[in-house]
Amino acid sequence: MNWSLFFDLTVSGLTLGSLYALIALGYSLVYGILKLLNFAHGDVYMIGAFLGWYALHALGGPVNPTFTGAVVLFLMFVVAMLGCGVLGVAIERFAYRPLRNAPRIAPLISALGVSIFLQNSALLIFGAAFRDYDTFDLIGVKTYNIGQLFFSVPQLLTVVAAIGLMVALTLFVARSRLGKAMRSTSFDREAASMMGIDVDRVISVTFFIGSALAGAAGVMFALVFGQIYHFMGFIAGLKGFTAAVLGGIGSIPGAMVGGLIVGLAESYATGYLPQGSTFQNLYVFALLILVILIRPSGLFGKAAISKV
Amino acid sequence: MRRRRATALATLLALGAALAVVAAAYATPERAAAPSAQAGSDAALVKCGKTRTIGFMAPVTGPAASIGIQQVHWAQYYVSTYNKTHKTKFKLQTEDTQLGAPTGTAEALKGAQALAGSSNVLGVVGPAGSNEIVGVTKSLMDGGLAWVSGSSTRTSLTTDGTRTGYMFRTVPPDAIQGPTAANFILKKLKYTRVYIIDDQETYSTGLADAVQQVLKAAGATVNRDGVSQQQSDFSSLIAKIPRDTQIVYIPWQLPPKGQAFGNQMKAAGKGTIKLMGADGLYDSSFASVGAHVYDTNFPLNPKSKIIAGFKKGHGGDGEYFGAPTYAATQVVGNAIDRACAKGSTTRAAVRAAIRSTKIPAAQSLIGVAIRFNRNGDLSTLHKFGLYKSNGTVFVPIAG
Repeated sequence: MNWSLFFDLTVSGLTLGSLYALIALGYSLVYGILKLLNFAHGDVYMIGAFLGWYALHALGGPVNPTFTGAVVLFLMFVVAMLGCGVLGVAIERFAYRPLRNAPRIAPLISALGVSIFLQNSALLIFGAAFRDYDTFDLIGVKTYNIGQLFFSVPQLLTVVAAIGLMVALTLFVARSRLGKAMRSTSFDREAASMMGIDVDRVISVTFFIGSALAGAAGVMFALVFGQIYHFMGFIAGLKGFTAAVLGGIGSIPGAMVGGLIVGLAESYATGYLPQGSTFQNLYVFALLILVILIRPSGLFGKAAISKV
Repeated sequence: MRRRRATALATLLALGAALAVVAAAYATPERAAAPSAQAGSDAALVKCGKTRTIGFMAPVTGPAASIGIQQVHWAQYYVSTYNKTHKTKFKLQTEDTQLGAPTGTAEALKGAQALAGSSNVLGVVGPAGSNEIVGVTKSLMDGGLAWVSGSSTRTSLTTDGTRTGYMFRTVPPDAIQGPTAANFILKKLKYTRVYIIDDQETYSTGLADAVQQVLKAAGATVNRDGVSQQQSDFSSLIAKIPRDTQIVYIPWQLPPKGQAFGNQMKAAGKGTIKLMGADGLYDSSFASVGAHVYDTNFPLNPKSKIIAGFKKGHGGDGEYFGAPTYAATQVVGNAIDRACAKGSTTRAAVRAAIRSTKIPAAQSLIGVAIRFNRNGDLSTLHKFGLYKSNGTVFVPIAG
């Protein structure tokens, strides 16, 4: 057993998995509340990465930042999360709310339309060229190791920040009044409305939180992998969706576990399977099909029981 | 009532949009006339006029824009210097191919169809990438257009016989570039543990094969892998690269990807492993990864007055990746001039004129005369240049 390779792949898989988990949370939150697959979510993640880039450059750029690296990073996250949160609310208000009582296929098509709209708007506004985050100039290139376990600062930052955000979300949903309202709306929208819950507001908040998490994931991706472009949300969105389905769509812990499984599967497939780097997506989606065949509601999902 | 009004308004808007689309289609006669124009375009007589049009295909935007823009600058430089000294003028009809973007080959194809359908276009400079050439071959040939590429190096493009008489290039093929890189690794660097990663595109796999073949024949330990051009996360792939690897050879097309790979290697604690790219990565963004980066690129005449003139007008930057595109534009321009000697010409005549190109060494920035063999390759040039990064840009080194 080559332990060095195993540890390298594990670190890489956990980093990727954390990003997928954050994206998956957005899918799960929205699905939990509206039973809607928000296919524009991957593109919100892309917009987050661009907002982070603009924030970085508005703050002096990676080489000569106006503030210290940590402050710049914090502000990049704030800008990306707020921007994406607002974008998510706008998407819900203009593309989904008018279709809330329409047949379920209508908002799904609207979601695909929003996705294409965002991709092409990004192409028009940001151009087709890659943008570089120059992470090394901003936070340095130093790599740390514990024995044979090597990791970089952006990798560590990604995993820690993702876990922090996921814990915060779990506590928010479990303990806050708004979280309680979200759970009630998810359980029965009509009953929640009759109990005095402002369902529209709850849905807006859900979109804000899910999109803000996607924005954070976009900045994290760019910090770790260095580059962003207008089409980056497509595959990331699909993987996030895979993670959400794998974990059981609608379930917050499911999204987290699903994300980590997809990330690790992708990493180990690349490292250990024949032509793994070429066919890593094949292996990941094959895993999805396998899990769905065995457990259609996902790992943490509950099978829907309908009384006749 | 309000709903009925809204429906009527929406219908009117939709009708308006449809009318606008139809009007726009008819307002672009060259594109609208494309199918019929293409059918007889090979022998159709074109009045040359005072201003002649050269079709130009390059990745003006997209992931390869950093090298594409160099080709644009060099093509424009030829046109502007020519126009200053001649009574007849050239203009470029530029089509953006977005090389490396998810829609890249489709964009190139669209561009080729537009050029083939535009009756003013007599010859084409570009496209940049070998995979793009494969994609646009039928459209350009159907339109009777010859094209001269200043950067596509895949050997089989000219040797497989499918483009003979139509495709020409002003750079040597990978059959020369591959052994140049492999021999440099073996004989100069004396490395025997090599990791090769192609980017799964026509250009890259061909070059990787050529290098691998020479290295393996010499007994070197070679690992081979591939990665999609769309990928930005190389962490798992990097994890696979053994720490005792001496050099990673990445003949990729997109400099930003090479830069990302190099930076992720450093982040993974493998920054001491040397990196080597090919002409597709000959760009300051890849060179900026560090002084441990090597590259191969097209040979140029360092004493060329043309290069000196270009540098003077571009802030001292030679933008060398684009230089062979100057030669390609020169070839097409020269051929159009000869074919237009009697005031009108055909695309077939321009093709024949390109085939019989003879540009003396004194007027060529590649240091040798420009002539083509039967396949469309340069019959006068048989080497590639070697370069090493100084941390910012590539500088020539002895091979």
